[in-house]
Amino acid sequence: MRDIFRTRRMWRRRGELKPRYDVVVIGGGSHGLATAYYLAKNHGITNVAVLEKSYIGSGAAGRNTTIIRANYRTPEGAEFYRSSVELYEHLSLDLDFNLLFSQQGHLTLAHSDRAMITMAERAEVNQLLGIDSRLVYNDETARLCPELNLSDDVTWPILGALYHPPGGIIRHDAVVWGLARGADRRGVEIHPYTEVTGIERSNGRVTGVKTTRGEIACDTVISATAGWSTLIGDMAGVPLPITTHILQAFVTEPLKPFLHVIIVSSQMHVYISQTDRGEFLIGAEIEPYTTYRGTSTFPFLEYSARHTLELFPQLESAKVLRQWTGLCDISPDYSPILGLTEVDGFLISCGWGTYGFKAAPIVGTTLAELVATGRTPQLIAPFTLERFYTDTLVSELAAAAVSH
Amino acid sequence: MTVDGVPNVRVCVEPVREGATVRAQNVLGSLDRDLLNVVDRIGGPFTPVGFYYRTMLRPRRLWPQYERVLRNLAGLGCLDKSGRRSGRYDVEHRRADVLVIGGGEAGVAAARAAAENSVGSVVLVDERAAPHIDGVETLAPARAIGFYEGGLVPVDAGNVLYRFRAGKVVVATGTVEQPLLFPGNDLVGVLLPQAVRRLVDDWALKPGDRGVIVSADGAGLDVVEQLRRAGVEIVEVVDLRESLPSTLAANGRRGRLESVTIEGRELACDLLVMSGGRQPAYSLLAQAGARVEYDARRGIFVPVDLPANVEAAGSVTETEPAAAPPPPSFDGGDAKGRCFVCICEDVTEKDVKRALAEGFDSLELAKRYTTVTMGPCQGRLCHLPSIRLYARETGSDEGAIGTTTARPPWAPVSLGLLAGRGLEPAKRTAIHHRHVELGATMMWTGAWRRPHSYGDAAGEARHVHEALGLIDVSTLGKLLVEGPDAAAFLELLYPNRFADMKVGRVRYGVLGSDAGRIMDDGTIGRIADDRFYVTTTSTGADTVIEWFDWWNAVWGMDVEVVNLTGALAAVNVAGPRSRELLGRLTDVDVSNEGIAYLDTKEAHVAGVPCLILRIGFVGELGYELHFASPYGEYLWDTLLERGKDLGIRPFGLEPQRILRLEKMHIIVGQDTDSESNVLEAGMPWIAKLDKDDFVGKWALEHVQARGFREQLVGFEMANGVVPAEGGQIVLDGRSAGRVTSARMSPHLGKAIGMAWVRPQLAVEDARIEIKVDGRLEAARVRLKPFFDPKGERLRA
Amino acid sequence: MSFLLPCPNCGPRDVDEFAYAGETTERPQGTPSPRELASYIHFRRNAAGVQREWWYHRFGCELWFLAERDTRTNEVLKTELPSTDAAGSPTPHEPATPDTPAV
Repeated sequence: MRDIFRTRRMWRRRGELKPRYDVVVIGGGSHGLATAYYLAKNHGITNVAVLEKSYIGSGAAGRNTTIIRANYRTPEGAEFYRSSVELYEHLSLDLDFNLLFSQQGHLTLAHSDRAMITMAERAEVNQLLGIDSRLVYNDETARLCPELNLSDDVTWPILGALYHPPGGIIRHDAVVWGLARGADRRGVEIHPYTEVTGIERSNGRVTGVKTTRGEIACDTVISATAGWSTLIGDMAGVPLPITTHILQAFVTEPLKPFLHVIIVSSQMHVYISQTDRGEFLIGAEIEPYTTYRGTSTFPFLEYSARHTLELFPQLESAKVLRQWTGLCDISPDYSPILGLTEVDGFLISCGWGTYGFKAAPIVGTTLAELVATGRTPQLIAPFTLERFYTDTLVSELAAAAVSH
Repeated sequence: MTVDGVPNVRVCVEPVREGATVRAQNVLGSLDRDLLNVVDRIGGPFTPVGFYYRTMLRPRRLWPQYERVLRNLAGLGCLDKSGRRSGRYDVEHRRADVLVIGGGEAGVAAARAAAENSVGSVVLVDERAAPHIDGVETLAPARAIGFYEGGLVPVDAGNVLYRFRAGKVVVATGTVEQPLLFPGNDLVGVLLPQAVRRLVDDWALKPGDRGVIVSADGAGLDVVEQLRRAGVEIVEVVDLRESLPSTLAANGRRGRLESVTIEGRELACDLLVMSGGRQPAYSLLAQAGARVEYDARRGIFVPVDLPANVEAAGSVTETEPAAAPPPPSFDGGDAKGRCFVCICEDVTEKDVKRALAEGFDSLELAKRYTTVTMGPCQGRLCHLPSIRLYARETGSDEGAIGTTTARPPWAPVSLGLLAGRGLEPAKRTAIHHRHVELGATMMWTGAWRRPHSYGDAAGEARHVHEALGLIDVSTLGKLLVEGPDAAAFLELLYPNRFADMKVGRVRYGVLGSDAGRIMDDGTIGRIADDRFYVTTTSTGADTVIEWFDWWNAVWGMDVEVVNLTGALAAVNVAGPRSRELLGRLTDVDVSNEGIAYLDTKEAHVAGVPCLILRIGFVGELGYELHFASPYGEYLWDTLLERGKDLGIRPFGLEPQRILRLEKMHIIVGQDTDSESNVLEAGMPWIAKLDKDDFVGKWALEHVQARGFREQLVGFEMANGVVPAEGGQIVLDGRSAGRVTSARMSPHLGKAIGMAWVRPQLAVEDARIEIKVDGRLEAARVRLKPFFDPKGERLRA
Repeated sequence: MSFLLPCPNCGPRDVDEFAYAGETTERPQGTPSPRELASYIHFRRNAAGVQREWWYHRFGCELWFLAERDTRTNEVLKTELPSTDAAGSPTPHEPATPDTPAV
């Protein structure tokens, strides 16, 4: 208890860059920091620099809607994210930092019989892997979320839902800070406001990076730069099957507890949760066009408000306080791209679409293991870049783009 | 305050309405005896910034209880759980030549000047009442929500949302008075000059009896005269530009101001007017693309480098300079009050210092850690003071620190106004009302509403096998592909062959992308050498038309694609007696020679010009009739009437699904997913890989070369249990495939389905196990249709 | 996105009227190797800068056209109808965003 009154630095002041590190991590977000943390903690690799072009957590890590879940469609995906949820469940104690993980449950609504099939498929895949996930009908949905408008008098009546009790929300900034502190205490150097401008190679392997603060020699570079992955990939000469899109969210003013479960509707492109601060945190689907311009749009507020009120008409007078935008990597099959590339020593964590934050701890542990042992852990073997050349995609998409 | 159930209303600007119910919120008990005060009083030492990150960690199982307490303390105002939408909101799309935001002196002058120069339409938006100006449309009370990409300026006018795009936008949003930071600055009785002016001028209220004024600019001093007129005794006026007291603190009891201590002198008073200078309200300009720069001389941030077509007027860019910016905070000596940086979020000077000491040393990090500027005032009152504080504490200057992003919306805006009136299209076929009259259960398929069944899905399905059924298939996409290159065009788009197709014939086609993925399916009939009639799935119609147009735009072939989806209705007359019925209604020869399986013919049916397609999605002898929509109900009625003695019955989508499953006909999007191709989906005969080129050819060749990874097959359950669609095929405890369709076939008396399985299981009669309700149920793989595998019924 | 996009046929219109269909790709001439095929199908330049891309005026004249847009600013520099004579002209591919749960 006394500890909370003592002022202790979370991390050291940014120092000078050393001329050489064993591992350079590009990106001070949840993936980069988790990788550095587990490199130090699990493998004793501490001569590591995390380079961040802005402040830590300034990208997707600090802009996502903080939802953690494991109820994916593919066995590969579900198994992977299950491991991540398990790590998240113990991360507060592990980091000695309360991440305010609120496992309030996650309901994905189905508004069509086609969607019901997809939900059933996910439930079956999940159950086979021991993930708590099942199809529920409106009588149970009404018990789980009495506030939800289940009437037929809407554009998209609700037929059922996929219920995932361990699904939850977490303080995203706390995850970033906790990992940064944990990494820093183990000797990892974190360098905010240090942008990478080039990656040095020789004979097909990485030899160093150029930054706005000077050059660094290293054998291993890990890119964890969602949104900008293709630009970093270009520096290393590694083309990536990724396009950059924006994803938006907004919060309302804080209100007293009202909603005690996370509500997602893919049909209506909206997801809604209420944070511990009382704000309603509402997000949507990615914008369909590619862009690096991270400005918020007004139509997003309009259609999100419309869809939110279809589900929760009680929110009519709630006011939007703040909206923001982040960049996402979209991969062709909506699964991540993780691990080795054709350039020796250049590793990637990208293509996360809108799922990246959920995977931070498991990305950290598996990439750290890959760096330490040189072998790709089984859990991430399906997600290699190579799969796009060998036609072994891991599709999280239930239906082809055209018919849904 | 909560007014009429609407939480978080700023009652100081909300006009009083008769009968309005006003309640205090976020208090336990009443405002005067608020039990939450205990939290406040002990809160100082007990709840330092970020305390929750460091506590309640152990034991882990108690966290949900802790969390409940935390959640209940957070938030302001309650929502009515049974509330419904009650407001009426409209949106207007507007253009203006000049849009002026802000109706103060500068805004009015700018609007007047624009009107006098007759630049066109001029609109003035103001939060309060703006004066009438000739030639200017005034919107008030109304607020600009933000300045978005493409010059979009949405304006909140209560129940109307104006979406403005203006030739020129003049931002005259003025300045925001800044508070001073000293202990006790949150006490009741500590006011900004603007609040004093409002109380005295607008509502003729006397804000206190004894007043002290501490001001860093003229604004604070200007109220002195007003206060005197209102009968307030002025105890002391401190002009910070002339003298800077070393200590300043407000003291109070039970939250109310009782005295002010200045350099050790305690002055009894119940009103303290403070003014820390004025910060230009630059948010809209920043959102529009202006840069924000620190003006060290004036101690404020100012917008510079305005984008084209955006102007600033008045004090938003030029404000009276204070002699010197006030200090970031005042030492309070031994005062007990807390020094607030952010009133909305309860962030004190101590919290900010602590955050910096802990390493949250960039503005963005400190903001996220302390939540300063993240409250409902959106930083209007705390942004500048907090930056000044960071600058002093970190020994850097404000200019280097910079500002945080001016995120929209500029003013809180309700979801109701943003939502407006929802309008999502729902489509109905030309025969819709007949289905309703016949008692059909309607269901959604994409935007369409279609009959699920007419009450007896199994009976309806059986009846098609035994006698005669009628289904409305108007929702199918219908295109005409016309022109000298029509055959060549389709030949390139589909894996099938079309060049050799005779006029009057129909072919089933599966449309794919260059990735080899199945996009859609349907039938293609050649109705003339240079004219093809193409049908698509109901939900795929728009995409297929766009896809055709797209390739046509690239290839520039001599072909035209015409969308007839809405123009034509369609029905399918199916069952062994369908020929007899059709024969009664048309003059053309309907014998097996006259219209053979997969023939198409133009003919009059019951006097209606129709295109007849003899195809068999449901597996029985049947004819699809396509005709002009206006005849929909007439032809439907006539078919039912003239087929009465043959036992004709309408059937819905559900029986159709049973029937097609008996034939193993796929439904794209249900039996296929984003990666499926025709080869693995069990339709290799469609892909003519010997063609020179077609969209998807190379990918299919690649699939052929690499071998199959999974295959779409049929299955028959051993003991009649119907598995869930989406159910898993299990091999050694792991997933080895998935069920895409499953039904009880009333005709066959079996539970049947289709599934994707590993290639080693894609063998006739292979035994598979499917998980059903947690148990494993046995099934046998079937590669041929369950019903009429040779297609004799279709060709009959 | 709320910028205005100049349709070659209709002039500047609200971008919400249009469907975006991705950067242009070059369809291989002749049979590609598996690697060339994978590059064509899956890999994009994803330029941070001017990008040549497909748009469709879905709620308008229903024309397909090409635009040059700076992806850093969303400024549209140019729009034009595709020319139909050049060999190796840009080709359609699957729509950019499928329907999938975002979170």
